[in-house]
Amino acid sequence: MEANENLAFDALSDRVRRRILAELGREGELTVTEIANRIDSVGRTTVSSHLRVLRTSGVVIERRDGRNRYYSLDRDGTVRDAFVYLQSIMDRAVDGIAAPDVTGQDEQDDRREHEAG
Amino acid sequence: MTSTTVAADRVVDLPRHEVFALFGTTGSAGWLFGARCDRVAEGATVSMRLPVGDGPDAESLELLGRFSRVVPGTLLVVEHTQPWQGRLCIRFRADGVARTRVTVRATIPDPGVQWLLHRVGIPLPDPPDDGSIRIGAITTMSGPGAIYSVSAQAMAELAVDEVNSDGGVAGTRLTLLTADDATDAAQAAFEARRMVALGCRAVFVNSTSASFEAVRDAVESSGVLLVHSVINEGGGDSATTLRLGERPRAQLEALVGPTMRASGGARRWYLVGQDYVWSRGAHRDARRVIDAAGGDVAGERLTPLGTTDFGTIIESVQASGADLVLSSLVGADEVAFERAAERAGLRDTTRTVSLVLDDATFSHIGGRAAEGLRTALGYFQGGPVGGNAELVARYHAAHGAWAPPITALSETVYEAIHQYARVLHLDPHGSAADHVTAWRTRRGAGRGDVVGNRDLLAPPLYTAEATRSSLLVDGAS
Repeated sequence: MEANENLAFDALSDRVRRRILAELGREGELTVTEIANRIDSVGRTTVSSHLRVLRTSGVVIERRDGRNRYYSLDRDGTVRDAFVYLQSIMDRAVDGIAAPDVTGQDEQDDRREHEAG
Repeated sequence: MTSTTVAADRVVDLPRHEVFALFGTTGSAGWLFGARCDRVAEGATVSMRLPVGDGPDAESLELLGRFSRVVPGTLLVVEHTQPWQGRLCIRFRADGVARTRVTVRATIPDPGVQWLLHRVGIPLPDPPDDGSIRIGAITTMSGPGAIYSVSAQAMAELAVDEVNSDGGVAGTRLTLLTADDATDAAQAAFEARRMVALGCRAVFVNSTSASFEAVRDAVESSGVLLVHSVINEGGGDSATTLRLGERPRAQLEALVGPTMRASGGARRWYLVGQDYVWSRGAHRDARRVIDAAGGDVAGERLTPLGTTDFGTIIESVQASGADLVLSSLVGADEVAFERAAERAGLRDTTRTVSLVLDDATFSHIGGRAAEGLRTALGYFQGGPVGGNAELVARYHAAHGAWAPPITALSETVYEAIHQYARVLHLDPHGSAADHVTAWRTRRGAGRGDVVGNRDLLAPPLYTAEATRSSLLVDGAS
């Protein structure tokens, strides 16, 4: 498990990021200024730095149109990341119990599957 | 409904029964999600911490559930409702001499996956446009409030299902939209705006007073009926809002005097609560009721919701010379405080009265730490309200044998939805203000303390004391 595979769900750890994503989810596509206007007590600079994190982790897509930059959610990437996140939870749970010398060799035993229920 | 399964396994250099015995024991924090439980047995309550992010500001999500199957040394199955509904299966198999393979398998139905996606910002899917009447329920699936909210969504669903199987409202089906406020007022307001935009006629806020106030500020002008459907400090009513459930004043009157008398002359109280409008209102009432009963207040602490370390507060209680403690802490904070208080020996010198000691909060504190705590609420799962046995049976038939307990808070939203449906049925085209008036008028009908007909605006209270195994109702007021 690469550390950065879990980046999308690091958005969980920050309320401002969750608010930004919620606004993008509702409005579709917004500029930095439009996002800042929708979230009380958070300035443009803060919104920009959060957007940078969200873009790096693949949750948000940036589109340039002339001088404007528009941001929207990358839904496909996020669905994929939800499963990666769930897998990482399971891995961390069992990592904690394993003796250090067997942690690595069991990596290939991890599985993910879909089933009808 | 489809579900997704995610699994991982590891080999541990310990015999199978030794690995199994480590589960949920103190001293193995972090082992398998840092599980916390008083006992590993079918039906016992368990909580686990799911890691979220890294670094000093990282939160964790609390998974709240019950063991549904326990085969010693071999298998543990946990059915959980928070932060999403699903099942966790932990299997222990011998893998050579003195080695054990531990497999963890999580089964997550679609609503659970949706919850996860919503948590990172993907909108919840819109309900189908089927001409039904929409209502919304904001509950708490994550954060410190999740503990008292474990059965809230299930009880709201049960009410809507029952209304629909009885023919709906004026011939039209009800549809329930639910959302998690994550114990965060801003999130509650966001979810309420979405519910209003989707045409909900009423929004039931089954969460903190902070969430209710944020929802009221966000959507009150929209003409939607707003119902605060859990215990609260009162105040702030308007033509289109209703605040239901227990009030601290009535709870304190049922608890303070009798507890002082039963404690042989104890009269010095220490007040512990949360640093927001709920505890501030409750403690204002507490000072009046304590004064009237001839007691005094030796000290008071308010702490932010989400506090996990109560060491300093407990030391302060001990230093104050108080012989009585009033806790208005809620959810995970109340669980952490009572467990720490018991460990610190506070029960040897004080008696504690707790305002939000519902059946779910009790089960997470655990009988050992909760024994002797007193409370007064309008509903207990083991209580004598008329029709309760039938309600509990219907709830388990719909949500399974291992569904979390019905609580004073989840029973209120269940009953509130039923009562709203009746008001709406009689006046389907009326405004929210008409419905508030009709609801307030109806309550005087005096049908007694029976499920479905309770006076939710001023519910009769039952007092109860925690034993090792349950909250035992011992009086009514």
